[in-house]
Amino acid sequence: MDSVLQTFFDVHLMASVFPDLIRIGLVNTLTLAGGATAIGLVVGMALALAALSRRVWLRWPARVYVDIFRGLPIILTIFLLGQGLPLAGVHPFGTNSYPYGIVALGLVTGSYISEIFRSGIQAVAPGQLEAARALGMPYLTAMRLVVVPQGVRNVLPALTNQFIGTIKDSSLVYLLGFAEGQRELYRIGQDVAQRTGNMSSLVAAGLMYLVITVPLTHLVNLLDRRLKNGRPKTAAPQAGDGPGPDARPTPMEVTSA
Amino acid sequence: MSGTAVVRIEALHKSFGPLKVLKGIDLEIGQGEVVGIIGPSGSGKSTLLRTVNRLEEPTSGRIFVHGEEITRPDTDIDKVRGKVGMVFQSFNLFPHMSVVENVAVALRKIRKLPREQADAIARRRLDEVGLLAKAEARPAGLSGGQQQRVAIARALAMEPELMLFDEATSALDPELVKGVLTIMSGLAKGGMTMMVVTHEMGFAREVCDRVVFMDAGQVVEQGPPAQIFGSPSSPRLRDFLAQVL
Repeated sequence: MDSVLQTFFDVHLMASVFPDLIRIGLVNTLTLAGGATAIGLVVGMALALAALSRRVWLRWPARVYVDIFRGLPIILTIFLLGQGLPLAGVHPFGTNSYPYGIVALGLVTGSYISEIFRSGIQAVAPGQLEAARALGMPYLTAMRLVVVPQGVRNVLPALTNQFIGTIKDSSLVYLLGFAEGQRELYRIGQDVAQRTGNMSSLVAAGLMYLVITVPLTHLVNLLDRRLKNGRPKTAAPQAGDGPGPDARPTPMEVTSA
Repeated sequence: MSGTAVVRIEALHKSFGPLKVLKGIDLEIGQGEVVGIIGPSGSGKSTLLRTVNRLEEPTSGRIFVHGEEITRPDTDIDKVRGKVGMVFQSFNLFPHMSVVENVAVALRKIRKLPREQADAIARRRLDEVGLLAKAEARPAGLSGGQQQRVAIARALAMEPELMLFDEATSALDPELVKGVLTIMSGLAKGGMTMMVVTHEMGFAREVCDRVVFMDAGQVVEQGPPAQIFGSPSSPRLRDFLAQVL
């Protein structure tokens, strides 16, 4: 029993890793996940709008992109893009693999986020777009001012879930080979575990992840409840107009693998 | 009808796949005229109305608004829609905006008016429909009748030359219908050109200058309300009136 405690919960060892975990690991994990999510939001919105377009030449590439990036193991994509882009001569960030890791993770995240956005936008009552168009708004203006804001609100819980997934996936990016100061939480825990033959540093890293993800999970639940209860209805009861806006499911199923 | 037709519809056909909804409609609406469109559900009334601002694309035929053919492919339909107000059965207010923002948004983003000016116009319109007090409220906090009055104010803010009403009172509780109809009557008396798809026979009879009866995608009979309701000539209109009156 003592050896179990010693192996996983060596308090002194944990205390010695925490400064690095916080100063280096936490900062890098949040930078990687935050950067990837920022890229993912932009890519995801562009893909979602393309996927909803009436134009085949916009819809088709968006669908292929999403199918490919969602269908591949994320580790394969990270290596493929993270190593491949510089090899192929696309190296705007020089030889530093850190930004390529963010880009790779962001492009994958974008495929998931596009599906989240798409379901959210599709859940907006069609009468909203019609009313905006009837006022004389061009399609993209109507989407930007009327449809997308409602669609995004619909999927805030799913987006938060996606962010949690990206935080966890960011532990894979390190495999591209980072410098000391670029290590994220997992790598710092694993390095010390390897050196000491003791798991406590990994447990400490795990605790750091939980400190971020557990509150976010609860935020998801809170947002979800708000959407279901507190949120104003889209339109008053519609006589015989099919299911009202409240009948729509919250697209929560769409989360990272 | 004088030569200044606000709307002219020529040989209009509309199909949804194999389903023929409009089978050759010819109709002209004069300046300041209020035309009620009645008929059984599925007769194509709403589809006809929705082709006038091309929320539905006609399968064939031509539509002119103020002499401009809006069914041409090179028509700037957004510009046309800016002059044609529409009110929907389900109101379709924007739930993430306040009432005054709902009315002002098109003025700001399409007419490019500065916020203060757009808000001032929006408040004036809201005052006209008796809802200035609700300017800062969210649409969800309003009754159906109030929402529909805001929707009318939103359409009027663009100073349309033509208003389309698509069963504007059909989704309302009975006690809320009157307030909306009163506003519509006021508009009609003020000289607005209106196309009104309605199940309110009282409104058609008392407010409309002309009533058009549609059935199975065709205009079966049209004329002044007294004639349509007083001495209907076609059996289909007589059947219809027997059912709704």
